[in-house]
Amino acid sequence: MIYLGQSSIEKNKIISEYIKENNIKKVFILSPEKLYFNCDIEETKEFIEYDNIIMYVYFYRLLQEINNDVLVVINECLRTKNRYDLTYNCIRNFLYQTRHQIIFQYLPTIESFEDFFILFDFDTRSKWKGQTDCNILKNSNININQINIKLNKIEVQTGAKLKLRYQEEKNNLIEKIGLKDPHTIPRNLYLLSGKSKLFLIDHSKKYIGRNNRFCLLNMQTYKEKAYQGNYTVFEFSHNHIDFIDFLSISKQVDIDVLVADLKVDQWYFERYQKWVEELDRAYAKIRQ
Amino acid sequence: MQKYDNNKNVLDAAKERISFVFDNFENIIVSISGGKDSTTLAHLALTEAHNRSRKIGLFFLDEEVVYQNTIDQIEYLMNIYPENTNRLWLQIEFLLTNSTSLEEGQLKCWEAGKHKIWMRSKGKNNIFAKPWAKEKEKYHNAAKGGLGFYGVLENFQDCYKNTAFLVGLRAAGESPNRWRAVTKNPININGNKVYWGSKKGENVVLYPIYDWNFHDIWHYIYDNKLRYSKIYDFQFKKGFGISEMRVSSLIHEKSFKSICELPEFEPKTYDKLLKRIKGISFAQETGKNSKMFKARKLPKNFKSWIVYRDFLLNTYPDPAKKNLFAKRFSKHLNNEFVARQQCRQIILNDYENNLAIQNKPDPREELIEYYKGVL
Repeated sequence: MIYLGQSSIEKNKIISEYIKENNIKKVFILSPEKLYFNCDIEETKEFIEYDNIIMYVYFYRLLQEINNDVLVVINECLRTKNRYDLTYNCIRNFLYQTRHQIIFQYLPTIESFEDFFILFDFDTRSKWKGQTDCNILKNSNININQINIKLNKIEVQTGAKLKLRYQEEKNNLIEKIGLKDPHTIPRNLYLLSGKSKLFLIDHSKKYIGRNNRFCLLNMQTYKEKAYQGNYTVFEFSHNHIDFIDFLSISKQVDIDVLVADLKVDQWYFERYQKWVEELDRAYAKIRQ
Repeated sequence: MQKYDNNKNVLDAAKERISFVFDNFENIIVSISGGKDSTTLAHLALTEAHNRSRKIGLFFLDEEVVYQNTIDQIEYLMNIYPENTNRLWLQIEFLLTNSTSLEEGQLKCWEAGKHKIWMRSKGKNNIFAKPWAKEKEKYHNAAKGGLGFYGVLENFQDCYKNTAFLVGLRAAGESPNRWRAVTKNPININGNKVYWGSKKGENVVLYPIYDWNFHDIWHYIYDNKLRYSKIYDFQFKKGFGISEMRVSSLIHEKSFKSICELPEFEPKTYDKLLKRIKGISFAQETGKNSKMFKARKLPKNFKSWIVYRDFLLNTYPDPAKKNLFAKRFSKHLNNEFVARQQCRQIILNDYENNLAIQNKPDPREELIEYYKGVL
């Protein structure tokens, strides 16, 4: 069964009930470390860090230990868009050995609706491998708690001097890109616009940014394991997965975003706006 | 064991397949490498041969530069049921690519006159002469200048007719592509459609354990108390990933990384290998370095992969192979994406083109153009 958008308490409850109903003796929870949740069940449980799944020392032991008395919980394991990623294939091998699995995912996609089929493959033992037709989703039991993300744009005006510097920096980056990763172009330009947003910083509010280069006490990065309260996005992360992790941990849905009047800021905001729209489309398709 | 239904698992199915092979072929040869899969297959086939009081061949092409544990494992397999085993342990001269040195790019295994530096002596019960007639010898590799590993295999198979060669290839598990490749072309054996094999000249190559996964293999080894290569234990303790747990040759372009751990796993083998062939010490130190054999990062004295490739090609020591590379590269696109792969081929001395090059436009250039437009 696939559960979308559950909180830690709900996850705990679902697991406890499942254990009672199915006489489960042991639970393996596959999850990225920063998304571990408090699981206070009486039965033996073990968290397996997502990156360790492909390690032989874990993979083979789990193959030996997983049987029909074991529940495999796949928690927030949608980490890459490649449906045939080695880690996903390893998880599928675990699932072939038991009838009991629960899949938890806060948001159903990484970038596009097709990503959801990775979770669907887990739940159906890859019976419909490679297919992305909405109609096959009826073969899986999907419980949806829809998360409606809202991005609120807070415009930031910049001066002519910064705009000129931006253009120079852009030309410079493209000219000297050499063998560097092309994604450094938007990443570096985005950092440049940071200074222009500094004057808007309200010390009573919390912000999230790419790094804390301005040494602000109320700024956190996307690498944290916990977030308290509401955050304003000072900068988006370049990778969607970091932003998804932030949303999964903080559970924030209504998000203010500082957007400078530079092309890179507009590009990032539009990119995430489209991502939110795609997310809504994905929910609609899953519900069909 | 994976189950098909309540009454049948992959072990039952493999036994049925092997029984089918024994019913349909007089001559059966199992190819073994000393790894876990071929150990399992050899045991299954030998058990069937023992029950039927028949003999099967166990074929091992000895590359000389292998783990001592592999040799011990082969010896063990040859002696499970010696009365049912034809010992086909080939220790003949052939050429093997040495990816660790450009100066000594090839190893002539078991080279005559060099017995003092062979990794070990030849076993007295093994086959030292080519089992095929010299005039019938085929499959010479022009690039190698002689008979390579696959050439020996082909010539060996051509010595037989109506023979079933059993191979411990597995397609279940982490690679769906391999599954498709194995099962897509069924062959006909006495009116039966067989999905787990292929036709090879006048013989067939069959994969009776093609649907087994890792777990099934280790389960079988444990249940039957079979000996297995201790290299697996060492790799397990070192925390190797599932795709790295392999017991293969030590020096070719896909296995050179095993030299990095060799001094820890088998110090004596490493010591002998150092004396046997050039490049070993360097590969041991740099085998996992992203700037060396892996060619993932550009060394800082070069501005681009294209410049680095041209440098490597210009300074390549063997003129015949240099032309081979130059000719091959002239058909490729000239971009950074392709040039990096070309560098890897030259560094690993892959004149046989085993590490195929993706000849396509550089995806980076497209992305840079995109950012140029939108930012």
